[in-house]
Amino acid sequence: MPIALEEILETIRMTEVEHFDIRTVTMGINLRDCSSDDLSRLKRNIYDKVMRMAAEHVASARKIESEYGMSIANKRISVTPLSIVADGYHTDDFIDIATVLDQAADELGVDFLGGFSALVQKGYSLGEYNLIQAIPETLASTKHICSSVNVATTLAGINMDAVRLMGHVIKKTAERTADKDAIGCAKLVVFANVPEDNPFIAGAFHGVSEPDVVINVGISGPGVVLRAVQESPDDLDMANLSDRIRRMAFKITRAGEFIGKKVAQMQNLPFGIVDISLAPTPIPGDSVADILKAIGLEDVGAAGTTAALALLNDAVKRGGMMASSHVGGMSGAFIPVSEDAGMIEAAERGHISIEKLEAMTSVCSVGLDMIAVPGKTKATTLAGIIADECAIGISNNKTTAVRIIPVPGKDVGNTVDYGGLLGSAPIMSVSQLDNSLFINRGGRFPAPARGIRN
Amino acid sequence: MSELSEQEIRRIAEQAIEQLGEDASPQAVEKVVKETVHRIERQANDPNIKRETETKNVAHTKKQSNNRIIVTAFGKNQKGILAGLTGTLAKHSCDIIDLSQKILQEFFTIMLLVDIAQCTIDFEELKDSLIEAGKKFDLKVVIQHEEIFNIMHRV
Repeated sequence: MPIALEEILETIRMTEVEHFDIRTVTMGINLRDCSSDDLSRLKRNIYDKVMRMAAEHVASARKIESEYGMSIANKRISVTPLSIVADGYHTDDFIDIATVLDQAADELGVDFLGGFSALVQKGYSLGEYNLIQAIPETLASTKHICSSVNVATTLAGINMDAVRLMGHVIKKTAERTADKDAIGCAKLVVFANVPEDNPFIAGAFHGVSEPDVVINVGISGPGVVLRAVQESPDDLDMANLSDRIRRMAFKITRAGEFIGKKVAQMQNLPFGIVDISLAPTPIPGDSVADILKAIGLEDVGAAGTTAALALLNDAVKRGGMMASSHVGGMSGAFIPVSEDAGMIEAAERGHISIEKLEAMTSVCSVGLDMIAVPGKTKATTLAGIIADECAIGISNNKTTAVRIIPVPGKDVGNTVDYGGLLGSAPIMSVSQLDNSLFINRGGRFPAPARGIRN
Repeated sequence: MSELSEQEIRRIAEQAIEQLGEDASPQAVEKVVKETVHRIERQANDPNIKRETETKNVAHTKKQSNNRIIVTAFGKNQKGILAGLTGTLAKHSCDIIDLSQKILQEFFTIMLLVDIAQCTIDFEELKDSLIEAGKKFDLKVVIQHEEIFNIMHRV
């Protein structure tokens, strides 16, 4: 059947007016074969492999963008968690290695490089501990490097020592980048049940079960889903509303998978997954919050917000699953505060609180994302917030995460502005009640009974 | 010439395995790949041979890719819009397969399905010259390969 003019116009409207684009084409690169007990050799191996593998990455993505008229916002790289590649090295060495990776990313022209990561849900090796200690300095001194630490899984439970440590690491990262409103914290995520093929930053890394090199894709389409909801009559019931969202999710996932496969094909690499998360941007109209409002809420934070988000998240998954055989990564709606114009507005008006956002994270990916809090917030409070998210994650067998920014010298009433895709955020209030006894208990939080599935 | 990239060598190896079929032992593949790499590098140093291989490559990629593009243009209706676009296409030997247009009040939309198999210039150049042709009439011109529409709108 030939393509109708209406269908062509719809596609162009999606990309030109409604900001539908491919958020990222991320090349995952295995660095395990770079290991060496000689630091300079290890650094050279890593640099050489990244430069060799990703030599054509940005150029290929640009060519595909042009041929299909579909913009690819970011070209990224993820690598094997450095704690595995460089286990046994010292804190200073990890900073050194990150500098080399940063240089490679710069020369290749990629936007971000993820993989300054450690998986410590059950405990850490010396290298993993040293890498975590190196995070604040690394994020302060590099431009493209992003870091993530997984501290909990449904099978292993929560590593409460790591949770406590991450509270301090976030504080230190904020202090080290205080002159830029703690932007270092925007490049650091603490996870529960982290996916190993996630193309999105800051949590991207190349899992150990992945092929040597792979191309993963993340899409960004809140604008088109918003239109689908806005065009629905007010008396359309839930199932039919879900159906409309589902159809739109199908289209954007198909486009995302197609573009990813083309970029992979051009470089003669395997295609991995498409992450069907709805990733918002600060551009007006490209907002998950606006979708929730269009579903029928005065603003995000109204009673029913969590349910509306659950409906949206489920509908997107249904459409995405039909569209692609390989759905992976986070694959759910993102609700970052600073990166979503509607969320920023709701936060400024005081309509959403961290507590409401926490409830919302139980039905979507990812978690408390890009939330600015007062600089005076204690490390134990940050650890408590992480522990809460981990508990939601392991109890519901889903990914949750915390990307929180305690901005030094700022308090409720102030706003921070990072520009670009990171957007701006009003400082949100956090419970200042003491929880240090709870956090300092440390040890391993037992895995939930639902983790024992066999 | 710079050395072959890892991707290129892998491509050569994969083709070698395919062509050798059942005879593809590791030794045989290694031998073929080594010879091919050697030959390519020798050719690359000889300016005459280089030109020939480059033209061959272009022809090869053209045959493999989907040759149909969709040109969409939007703007205020005025005389000569269609002629402006189709003239540019004809100049570069592009074949118009289908055409539809819609005029809503003053606003004009045109869609052309074009076969670029015989096109005398490459895709990027064609794209630029169509956008340039559109500018004369204040038209916004979007050029995309046809596949993206099939992917998004057909189950």
